[in-house]
Amino acid sequence: MVDPKRPFVLSVEASGGPRIAALNEAAEAEGLAKQDLVADARAKAGVLQVRDIDPAADDTALKRLALWATRYTPLVSPWGEANGADGFFLDITGAAHLFGGEESLLADLADRLHGFGLPARLAIADTAGAAWALSQFHSSSTVVLPSGQEAEALARLPVEALRLSFDTRTTLRRLGFKRVGTLIDKSRAPFAARFEKELLLRLDQALGRAPEPLVFIKTPPIYHSARYLLEPIFTADAVVAFTTRLMRSLVHALVRDGVGARSLRLSLYRVDGVVETIDLGLTLPTRSPTHVARLIGLKLERLAGAVDAGFGFETLDLAVTVAEPMEAEQTELVAANDDSFSPEQCAALVDRLQQRLGRDSVQRLAPVESHLPERAEMLEAVVGDAAVWPAPDTNRLRPPILLPRAEEVKEVMAVVPDGPPARFRWRGTLHDVAHAQGPERIANEWWRDRGAKPTRDYYLVEDKAGHRFWLYREGLQGSEIRSPRWFLHGLFA
Amino acid sequence: MKPSVVIAPDQPRAGIVTALRRLLPRMESVAAETRVLPFGIPELDSHLPQGGLALGSLHEVMPETKEDALAAFGFVTALLGRMLRKDPVLFVTSSGGLGRNARPYGHGLHQLGLDPARAILVRTANNKQSLWTLEEALRSGVPAAVAGTLERLDLKTSQRLQFAARESGVPLLLLRPAGITESTVAMTRWRVRSMQAARDRFGLIARWRWRLTLERCRNGRTGEWLVEYDNAYRFSLATAVADPALPRRASTERFCA
Repeated sequence: MVDPKRPFVLSVEASGGPRIAALNEAAEAEGLAKQDLVADARAKAGVLQVRDIDPAADDTALKRLALWATRYTPLVSPWGEANGADGFFLDITGAAHLFGGEESLLADLADRLHGFGLPARLAIADTAGAAWALSQFHSSSTVVLPSGQEAEALARLPVEALRLSFDTRTTLRRLGFKRVGTLIDKSRAPFAARFEKELLLRLDQALGRAPEPLVFIKTPPIYHSARYLLEPIFTADAVVAFTTRLMRSLVHALVRDGVGARSLRLSLYRVDGVVETIDLGLTLPTRSPTHVARLIGLKLERLAGAVDAGFGFETLDLAVTVAEPMEAEQTELVAANDDSFSPEQCAALVDRLQQRLGRDSVQRLAPVESHLPERAEMLEAVVGDAAVWPAPDTNRLRPPILLPRAEEVKEVMAVVPDGPPARFRWRGTLHDVAHAQGPERIANEWWRDRGAKPTRDYYLVEDKAGHRFWLYREGLQGSEIRSPRWFLHGLFA
Repeated sequence: MKPSVVIAPDQPRAGIVTALRRLLPRMESVAAETRVLPFGIPELDSHLPQGGLALGSLHEVMPETKEDALAAFGFVTALLGRMLRKDPVLFVTSSGGLGRNARPYGHGLHQLGLDPARAILVRTANNKQSLWTLEEALRSGVPAAVAGTLERLDLKTSQRLQFAARESGVPLLLLRPAGITESTVAMTRWRVRSMQAARDRFGLIARWRWRLTLERCRNGRTGEWLVEYDNAYRFSLATAVADPALPRRASTERFCA
């Protein structure tokens, strides 16, 4: 565990070894700074807690915070790499008065962030660039810059306040430009000739002479509906009935966005605070309240006992956890005796069966390219279009029933060593062969199996009673093995 | 419209019988207009009411002995393959319903005429789940046909299933264990026995051969046939009983030179 009271840094791999990417107050108090080598920092700070930086987690956290900030304005733009990726812009144009003006908005924001345990530096200005600069370099942690004073305010700040690349910054410093003020109102031509376009662009953006396009986050659509009950409910029937209503209230939003629910979660809040959740996964997106309610009913039936109503449920909450695009006309045009096949109805049936019997209980067969009979097909979930099967080859008869694990047959008597059996015993019964045809030789898939498996010779064998079997002899007589073994692999009709 | 049959005493007997027979299905609340699945064998189809296996009803198929289970399975598969609607067919098996260490094999089903892409395989844990699944599938009206293995079926449950099948117009083919004597409301009950296959002139198996016994048939007649099923997914009557001694005959024949 990390102790926040003691020096703690996040390290990032850089040239010359890991460097500090972020640090806490205790570490700052020890005199450490960003970009220091971790090795040096260890020497300085004595006991130093170091963790690797996790950019993906940072990104997610920032996105989450940005989403939260949409409570102030719908236009929130989390910072990308160029801005340091550690904050966000809020476009509060026309939104500040809702919070009693800019100062109180800023105070409210600072207060709430402080409540989250996030020390934040905030600034309001006419341009995004100026706001960024002030938030990073102003002496006060909250600044509101009155309109039109960007140039004055920026003049006192270091050139780093312009969000420049490392190279540009160092060159500027080497040339003696330390403050932004030394750049403002200088003749532009020499700068344009000497520096990347970036320098003048950033300066213009900060001063409001050039526009700065921002990328705002999109709030994910939330399909979610809850119901608070006056009287707690106990029975599965009641849960199903309320689920229908909850789903019905979501349908409008789903239709509007042209999506359907692929997976749903029903949360049942018990009076004593326990929350039971029921997750549903569907084969095809749906918007049908009756279908969803039906599945919930089946699931409850299957879970009988596992879901404990206790003192009753007082709140039901249905959320669409995965939404997928869905055609508008695929709603509930259900005509029971319609001859035309509808994939939606089929998916609905599969869903119902799966809820009751379990996910793997409903499957279909898909062909696989393989010589080996047991590998030539597989079971798959009934989702989407079924695979197209190759036309049956009547020269290679295949049994309608396969024994996935071939069973060895005993007491095999063959007239000639490499011929079909004349008699064999399988599962205790002796079968006298009346007719045999074959062999069909199936070699092992040497490119797949290490350790060569012997070749198989398959025979279709009919016994005197008219029962038909698919037998194979394993191994080539003489070359692969000495005494062949016989296996039963399938049964013919 | 109320069924009306005028039976005049001067009508020929055969005419009266036909008229009465036509009346029978109505009395048994089976719609006379139900669509049927003919076998394409006139001798066999004439035993069945309306000349074929009625869709929208319950049919039972059982093997003659335990060893003939595969013949019964093949017969059901062949029937499923002959369904005209190309919608999915549901095959419900309880655990071990097809026997130990056995599962349907797509390439083999295909050779019996059932496109495996159409087959949805449902596995259930017990008889109760199977019954629920069968009824649910029938009521949904989605599949072209529902088939399954079923260990136990009492009269009342069979009525439920028959009702569900009739409502949806979807046939229900049940593979029952050998030797059952339960009374059900199934439209037909078939007993299937494996017979030695018909061979072509090279001595290779050309057509599967089964002995079908129509043990029960509501509004029809029972019967027994030796039926062949070929590569083109057609049923036919075996012209002669297969002679397993076919190759041997050459040696028993005497030649005088």
